[in-house]
Amino acid sequence: MINYGLRRVVGNVFFYLLLGVFMLIVLLPIYYIFLTAFSPGDQLFTKPLSYLPRSLAVERFRDIFNALPIARYMFNTAFLATASTLLAIAVSLLAAYALARLQFPGANLVLVGLLASSMLPGSSTVIPLFQMYQRLQLMDTLQGLLLLYGSGLLPVTVWVLVSFLRQVPIEIEDAAKVDGASLFPLLWHIVLPVIRPGLATMFLINFIAGWNEFFIPLVFARGPSSKVITMALSEAQLIGSSTQFNADWGNVAAVAILTTIPVFIITFLFQRQIVEGITNGVFK
Amino acid sequence: MSTISIAKTKPIARPLALATRRMLLAYALVAPVVIWRLSTSVYPFLRTFYLSFFDHSPVRRTFDYIGFENYVAMTRDTNITASLTFTFFFVIVSVTLQIVLGLGIAELLNKRFRLRTLARTVNLLPWAIAPIVTGTAAVWAFNQDFGLINDIIWRISGERPLWLVHVTNARFAVTLTDAWKNTPFLAVIFLSGLQGIPSELYEAAKIDGSDGARSYWYITLPLLMPLIVSMSIFITIFRVLSFEIVYALTNGGPGSSTSLLSYVVYLQGFRVLNFGYASAVAMLLFFIVLVIGILGFGVLRRTWDRL
Repeated sequence: MINYGLRRVVGNVFFYLLLGVFMLIVLLPIYYIFLTAFSPGDQLFTKPLSYLPRSLAVERFRDIFNALPIARYMFNTAFLATASTLLAIAVSLLAAYALARLQFPGANLVLVGLLASSMLPGSSTVIPLFQMYQRLQLMDTLQGLLLLYGSGLLPVTVWVLVSFLRQVPIEIEDAAKVDGASLFPLLWHIVLPVIRPGLATMFLINFIAGWNEFFIPLVFARGPSSKVITMALSEAQLIGSSTQFNADWGNVAAVAILTTIPVFIITFLFQRQIVEGITNGVFK
Repeated sequence: MSTISIAKTKPIARPLALATRRMLLAYALVAPVVIWRLSTSVYPFLRTFYLSFFDHSPVRRTFDYIGFENYVAMTRDTNITASLTFTFFFVIVSVTLQIVLGLGIAELLNKRFRLRTLARTVNLLPWAIAPIVTGTAAVWAFNQDFGLINDIIWRISGERPLWLVHVTNARFAVTLTDAWKNTPFLAVIFLSGLQGIPSELYEAAKIDGSDGARSYWYITLPLLMPLIVSMSIFITIFRVLSFEIVYALTNGGPGSSTSLLSYVVYLQGFRVLNFGYASAVAMLLFFIVLVIGILGFGVLRRTWDRL
């Protein structure tokens, strides 16, 4: 019995040790970004590093707001992340309803085609899109970016919504009577309330992905009217007096904080829904 | 399928007209999604395929059909061979790390302990951070003199290795950064896989005298195997396609020892403005993803059959 108890204690110590190491590996780099953002310039370059703040400086945030159109970038980012998700969900819901409820020739082709098109790498479509956008004058516009942000969300959104709709019992909507005129009230009043929790989790996942997007704006956004916050990272390296690294890491860290805080808040508030959203996307 | 039974049982007054109307409605409903995807994904993809047979550059103002010359040029391009070598290294090391650590973290987070919900949220943080932020912060973390990583290594061993100027070290830097960022996602998936295993199986094993390690080997792993295989395929493809970490951390360097193909496409397309050649590289990338997908699907089917 003593042996058994000892083994349990050792097992527990081992478990908490591993958990502690894991937490440290995740949190230390994040903590260090915060520390860098709030440290006065002369404290960034110390050997060995100091892990506790000796004084806090917030002027860096004032500097980056002065030097860069951060507020505009934040607005663009929030707009693109929100609007692309809402738009993608709206059109996907229409398609998913037809695919799940109305039988029509080609339904399988649409489903499989969507899945296949989601396998196309972004870099294998970007050059013709770039030329197309120049011709159509969609470069450097929020509408243009919105179309590309939303496009990437469509395949998975349709697939997940089809699986949601198949779980909604068909009796409650009496699909046999649906025609063009009664469809929207039906979707709005009967289908939407049933699948709302699922939609909310999907919105969260897509919003975070949209907020973090970098490749699309890197190619298609050129000025403050359409640039997003992730692009301010490299711009922050160029402001202020250059250090020996030709980059002011404090400014970069401050932008990193501004980029990260919103998604961290969402993660802390909606941990359960996010996990559900991630697993929905994989298991359905 | 419930729709079929309804179609059979309902009394139909004017079958043809109604059926046609419903069909038209269905097409109208899927049209926005289909048109959106065709114009922003399928058409540009086919156009990339077409452009890959051209010498096309807006700088040199060329648009000449050259057959397979871009593809032939790729076989001689040391940037491409370096990129393929690194892709292979990156996929093998990062995917292995992520699967092993992901299983471990899932196991940790599946135990009962106080503040478990908080630990699960902390696990999500690397997933939530933008890849470009991770890559940019990693430049700072891997700095030789003032970086977080060398500070820890120095405290332990007294050494300060150079990370981003040595080929092998730079490759590990990219790979470790990628694993830090993406393992938590996999851990979430594996955790939900673990939660789906009925606890009676473990209780039965306990009665038979099996302890933790044995029941993990004979119950947990076999039941998780389809998930492990499918996620390996999935994250392998994502590794092949990744862009941001390389873009921010190493710029593909030193030389092109850490440049992944997406990064080569970006350089050739938007820095060198060599649209034809960039298109050919993009097709190579697509082909690699296709092969992994087909091979992976075959393996996955065999795994399911064995269950």
